Amino acid sequence: MPAASAINAIIVDDQLTMRALIRSTLQQMGVSNVRDAGDGEEALVRLAERPANLIISDYNMPKLDGLGLLRAVRANPNTQKAAFIMLTGRADKDLVQRAAQFGANNYLVKPFTLMSLKEKIEQVFGVLT
Amino acid sequence: MDPMESIKATFFQECEELLADLEAGLLAIQAGAGDEDTINAVFRAVHSVKGGAGAFGMDALVHFAHVFETLLDGVRAGRIAAAPDLLEILLRAADILADHVNAARDGGAVDEARSAEMIRDLEHATDPEHDHRAAPDLAAPDLAAAGAPGVDQPDEFGFTVTRFNPESLEPLVVTEALWKIWFRPKSALYRKGNESALLLRELARLGPTKVRLDQTELPDLASLDPESAFLAWEIELEADTDEAVIREVFEFVEGDCDIEIRRCSTSESPDATSESVITAIVEPPPSRATVNTESPASVKVETPKGEAVATPAHATIRVDPERIDRLIDLVGELVINQAMLAQRVIESGLPQSSNVATGLEDLESLTRQIQDSVMAIRAQPVKSVFQRMPRLVREVAAQTGKSVRLVTEGEATEVDKTVVERLGDPITHMIRNAIDHGLESPERRAAAGKPREGVVRLAALHRGGRIVIEVQDDGAGIDRKRVQAIAVEKGLIVADAQLTDEEVDNLIFLPGFSTANAISDISGRGVGMDVVRRSVQALGGRISITSRPGQGSTFTLSLPLTLAVLDGMVVDVAGHTLVVPLTAIVESLRPKPADVKRLGPQGAVLSVRDTYVPVVDVAAILGFRDYSKSPCDGVVILVESEDGGRAALTADSIYGQRQVVIKSLEANYRQVDGIAAATILGDGRVALIVDVDAVIAMRRRDTIRDYQQPLAAAG
Repeated sequence: MPAASAINAIIVDDQLTMRALIRSTLQQMGVSNVRDAGDGEEALVRLAERPANLIISDYNMPKLDGLGLLRAVRANPNTQKAAFIMLTGRADKDLVQRAAQFGANNYLVKPFTLMSLKEKIEQVFGVLT
Repeated sequence: MDPMESIKATFFQECEELLADLEAGLLAIQAGAGDEDTINAVFRAVHSVKGGAGAFGMDALVHFAHVFETLLDGVRAGRIAAAPDLLEILLRAADILADHVNAARDGGAVDEARSAEMIRDLEHATDPEHDHRAAPDLAAPDLAAAGAPGVDQPDEFGFTVTRFNPESLEPLVVTEALWKIWFRPKSALYRKGNESALLLRELARLGPTKVRLDQTELPDLASLDPESAFLAWEIELEADTDEAVIREVFEFVEGDCDIEIRRCSTSESPDATSESVITAIVEPPPSRATVNTESPASVKVETPKGEAVATPAHATIRVDPERIDRLIDLVGELVINQAMLAQRVIESGLPQSSNVATGLEDLESLTRQIQDSVMAIRAQPVKSVFQRMPRLVREVAAQTGKSVRLVTEGEATEVDKTVVERLGDPITHMIRNAIDHGLESPERRAAAGKPREGVVRLAALHRGGRIVIEVQDDGAGIDRKRVQAIAVEKGLIVADAQLTDEEVDNLIFLPGFSTANAISDISGRGVGMDVVRRSVQALGGRISITSRPGQGSTFTLSLPLTLAVLDGMVVDVAGHTLVVPLTAIVESLRPKPADVKRLGPQGAVLSVRDTYVPVVDVAAILGFRDYSKSPCDGVVILVESEDGGRAALTADSIYGQRQVVIKSLEANYRQVDGIAAATILGDGRVALIVDVDAVIAMRRRDTIRDYQQPLAAAG
């Protein structure tokens, strides 16, 4: 069971509200090492500064979308092992399958409750201590 | 505040931006300027509203946004054509979405029938085959169902959760990093009073540093120009931080130095360049061809509608407005204190050339700059008010059966936040009025040889330290005969009054005046232009109208840029220090006895260049003196009131012109007739700020009473 303090997360969403919500969920789970980015391109810059081991990213964003970010993350040896949770706008089978194909660890359909986000994270990491 | 509550507040704030983007995007598409990005942005706006609303359990909002989004998705994918009638639906849907957001925020209710009908319209547009009346789509996707894919076996989409390998946790946690910073100041950095040593010290706060001086550029003493910069530094900084944090240290000298920031991992030698190096060299300023000392103009040039605006993304911070208000208050105190200090220095008889006096001058200039900067924090573009207007125009146009196009200009014009907030009502009313009373019906317009579509122009601009808002229509203009007849009928003017065109036009601002025979649903609502004028005056503003028959009318609203400071003329009236707002003053003069004509027991008029203006004895009206003093014994300040009428205020002497900080009299004492507010002067005395219009009105009442009393006595 991983320690919450070992998690170094980055939230990628163009919406401030979403970033704040996800951040507060992570904090409730004991994850305090959280950065954020407004789009995929910004996320890549942040990740180049310092890698993360949990990436929670929206799909539909300006500049570089979630799938583009996922591909870039998996292609870079520094980031390829990070857990990637994709937030999708709708229950779109094609999109979910593409996310799986590019190596997303999990996905979550918006709108979601904070409870379900917590579940998704725990499905990937197990219960955090 | 509860963290969820504060996130919710952020959400609603963001919703406002999203709704504005949505509307702007739809209007751009309607104008034929919508590319793929615009459609995507429109979709994303609705989508984001839905996403946030879902997390807060705002079901009605989620449901509406979901149906709306489904249709937009069809448009985005090219399945549904963005035809004009579809855009009408989308724009109305955007309005109802805004209603839902407001209802969720304020705990109110939306017009259920209207919302349900719109949902049917949206669903019909998405899929005309489906009979939505019979089987209404119940709700947004089932959250619970979507949230439960299997961990070890695929869910209905074939997705299997991949567990994270905890072993890969460790190497990823980078605790320390080594940064290499190369910093070369230019002479401009020193000229602006910055100090390299301070920057290096600031950097050392982020972590242990190793600093190496690079003096290779340093010439020998003979050829050394003492005003140039020759030194550079190489700094190794050990800190687990972001590049942005390091860059922040150099924020104020950006452009005045060359700077390069590189990240090296601790294991590597600092000189080896790793693959993930981030380099940025701050570009030097263009050249020294022009010295740019002017502050950026506050009026921004408007980009024509529909043209893509490339706004550079810039970081913003959100601050509790109370903190800014506190800062403004403090700066106000600072201004007063600085003025008091200056006064004391003058009184102490120190020569002008003394160090104290020159130091004080610097302090004054700095204080002014601080004041301007603080005011700039509160300045907001009027855009937030302007962008509410397209919806209003659509609604009023629909209600009146008129065809209207709204043109806005100067949305980026900035003005104090409090002024922006209070602009909404008067602008709303002026636009309603322009469509309802100003514009003719399409048939009448066609008959008059005009385009069927009327144009309402809403513009904001800065003029003479004030903000001017214009609402212009290309309608029929004011029917002056009818306005005068109504004014006579309502007893507002006498039947044979000889009025100029301008005076007739301004009759519509009189209380109790309404031109519509039956109060219409639009402009009516029990609010007349008199209320608009009063609310504008409460902001220290003026409103006027100009009209040309057959060509339309223009309402012009002029307001101060801020409600916190005021330029005023400090005068002495019967031993009391008063401040007359400079904006009201036309000129000051010393009248000759021959220019003053007595009129009735108390009144007098003053002849100024062949016109007569009423004399207002301020001391008598405010009760400082119970007798009337001849205007020739002191000075007269010629003022112009909001309605354009002039009056001559009498004062004993003038101290001078000064900028004063406005202190509310109501908040600290109580409202006083004829007094707008108070201020504290440099010597610490409290001075009252004269409400010019109120004083003129009080004089008018007194005069009427003076006339009525002898009549009553005779009768």
